[in-house]
Amino acid sequence: MEQHAETELDNVTTQTDKSGVSPTSHPISFARISAIGFLVLMVFSWGYLLVGSNSGLADFSSSETWDNASRFVQELAGVNSPVRPAFLNRDRWFETGKLAYQTLAMSVLAIGLAGIAVLATFLPGARNVGNGDLGGAYSPAWCLLYYLVRAVFAFTRAVPELVWALLLVFFLSPGIVAGALALALHNYGVLGKLSSEVVENLDPTPAKALKRAGAGNLQMLLYGVVPQALPHFVTYLLYRWEVVIRTTVVVGFVSAGGLGRELRLSLSFFHYTEVFQIIIWYLILVITVDLLAAWLRRLARLE
Amino acid sequence: MVLEAVWTGTPVRMGAPGLLDHRRLLTLLMVGAVILSVVGIDWGSPLFHTGGGGAARNFLAALFPPELSPSFLGLALAASWQTLAFAVAGITLAIVLGLPLGVIASGSVFDAGQSSIAPIAAARFFLAAIRSIHELVWAVLFVAAFGLSSLTAILALALPYAGILGRIYADLFNNVPQEPLQALRASGASPFRVFLYGRLPMALPDAIGYTFYRFECAIRAAAIMSFVGIRGLGYEIQLSLNDLLFGQVWTLMLFLVALVLVVDRWSSTLRRSLIT
Repeated sequence: MEQHAETELDNVTTQTDKSGVSPTSHPISFARISAIGFLVLMVFSWGYLLVGSNSGLADFSSSETWDNASRFVQELAGVNSPVRPAFLNRDRWFETGKLAYQTLAMSVLAIGLAGIAVLATFLPGARNVGNGDLGGAYSPAWCLLYYLVRAVFAFTRAVPELVWALLLVFFLSPGIVAGALALALHNYGVLGKLSSEVVENLDPTPAKALKRAGAGNLQMLLYGVVPQALPHFVTYLLYRWEVVIRTTVVVGFVSAGGLGRELRLSLSFFHYTEVFQIIIWYLILVITVDLLAAWLRRLARLE
Repeated sequence: MVLEAVWTGTPVRMGAPGLLDHRRLLTLLMVGAVILSVVGIDWGSPLFHTGGGGAARNFLAALFPPELSPSFLGLALAASWQTLAFAVAGITLAIVLGLPLGVIASGSVFDAGQSSIAPIAAARFFLAAIRSIHELVWAVLFVAAFGLSSLTAILALALPYAGILGRIYADLFNNVPQEPLQALRASGASPFRVFLYGRLPMALPDAIGYTFYRFECAIRAAAIMSFVGIRGLGYEIQLSLNDLLFGQVWTLMLFLVALVLVVDRWSSTLRRSLIT
């Protein structure tokens, strides 16, 4: 997570770096309009949500709600539980551990599928591959492909994993694979956009030199572009894995797999000590993946 | 910047000796993990369930055209507004929670010394804890504890976002150029004044840019709050799916995509205008 935030930040700042020319002639005024626009949105949003009948203002000011909340926390911890709390049950740890492993496998499958799909399409998704900026010839077909690929990236990215999961369980058997595909679709869009932008931002000199030395278009891309882009791609892939493991549990709600399904079942049966146990497994998964991804990213560094 | 350093000039070690140099080890581990996950999954049932193929064809056919009746477009617009309102409320609360925590976590408002380590560590741990749990997991827990209401959903959305924003703010406050800060210190400014007149204004453009990027993510997060019963685009998508009205599903998805893209464009234009 630590690294993830940095990488994301780098991406945001490099995006801003790439165009030196501002689209607006009065940069300050656009920022001011944005600030006013956001303030207006804020006032209307809070007004709309808090004036409504189900705002929750009354709930949060009544002592009954807070009594309920403290009872819920006690039930999570198994205070005065009539049955033996799940987190004191050894077999239950093994059962949920198996589900945690399935959840981990689902996240790896998801990020693997997304990664393979991105590797196949991120080059056409970069504007400079088709328009000749890398030393090749201008190709209208590649430029058309650029808009197509970018549209697919934008669409798959804008739809959240859970909505993809809802749709997919209509066609696919609910389970780990359907959930992994839903996760892969959204992350395909995210990773595709990031990876294509890496290609658009990288140093074109090696590609141009290869082209002048007589390399073909494919050779130019394979030896001049891909080696530069690959470490960034792997870094992004690993930081998305950290996001995916958090979301995998949630996708399990609908696609009937892993810890997510168990969490939903335990909640609907009011087995709150089991809920607590599942959350412990969830945190173990999140921390493990954060550490693993950070270590793997260190391996991916160039130096 | 890390990426800059990587693009320019960092020498690439060619033909590193040994079977297990870093790159090979990485490739091996990643390919191995994917193979293990493919093998380890229960592939028992066929991928498409009975009638799934037909449903998929119906779904794709429903895009031409999607549901475009004025009354439904009005409903989709109202749902988009609800989703946007939750996203705006969630991100504002996240800023309100994340900014002070980020300032403490950056350690920049304290006098140098041992006494500042405890609050810094506490703030960093708290930020890490709230951002490890997904907003929807927070939502199901909060609904079980407080009951379903708008505030519950806003709080569930705001907590993990405060965690990530706070961490980013802390980094940004620490990564500003040092010379202006030294000038302020030399003229006798307290650490708080150095923060207020040095770190904060210098970090502001990047902080606003990143917050807007998170605002875009918050729209998706607000849409899926439908799983705990919050109205909006996700809620309407679920209703239309239950009635097998795929044309409506497409319309709602296109509204969601449009909403995300508009905010994405707003945020990238704003980032560019803040830099120049």
